[in-house]
Amino acid sequence: MLKKTIYALCFSTISLMALDKGDAVPQNIQDQLNLDSNKTYVIDFFASWCKSCKKELPLISKVYNDKLVEVVGVNVDKKKKDGEEFVKKFELPFRVIYDSDKTFIKAFDPVGFPALYYVRDGKIVNAIFGAVDNIDEQIAKDLKDLK
Amino acid sequence: MRRLAIILLTPLLFMGCSMIEEVKPWEKETLAEEIMQYEGLHPEVKKFEAHVYFSKEASRGGNGVAGGGCGCN
Repeated sequence: MLKKTIYALCFSTISLMALDKGDAVPQNIQDQLNLDSNKTYVIDFFASWCKSCKKELPLISKVYNDKLVEVVGVNVDKKKKDGEEFVKKFELPFRVIYDSDKTFIKAFDPVGFPALYYVRDGKIVNAIFGAVDNIDEQIAKDLKDLK
Repeated sequence: MRRLAIILLTPLLFMGCSMIEEVKPWEKETLAEEIMQYEGLHPEVKKFEAHVYFSKEASRGGNGVAGGGCGCN
């Protein structure tokens, strides 16, 4: 009984670890995000209430999508409607996934927001947290470095 | 056995104090609302209040970070 209590207490205090550079994205998350193993993905987590996102998204929209690179936006607004209006307003040209139930953001658990991950072969190869000036240039540089 | 249990359970008891859930960066939706600004919805009102205050009290400063440098004020 005592042993069981100690084990239960120990496990209840262990929180899930955040995904970081070099970590593999869980297969179920990859499947839900529809990630192909042959491509490099730029996964951008954003929300309508995030001021930095408003600044960054028009620049991220400029990032070139091709056979090898794809930008995927993940909207984390509580209300899907807010996210949809935001996406419509900014006319985002890339695929957007609505994460109202926080499945994806909880899996990645970024330390800052907005959060941008580079995923290749199911692994996180780089990540950017927080606002970055000229994010489009940064992404272009990072993708070039990854090649 | 009882002693061992006390030794093992005491740190766990204190660990309970550290289990207050932090607000994650993506959960700051409410904090990002305009109404949550220190100055309120209309920062100009706060500025006006500050102007009235220093006019009446004949004093200024002590309510923020001063601009640096020239000493012209």
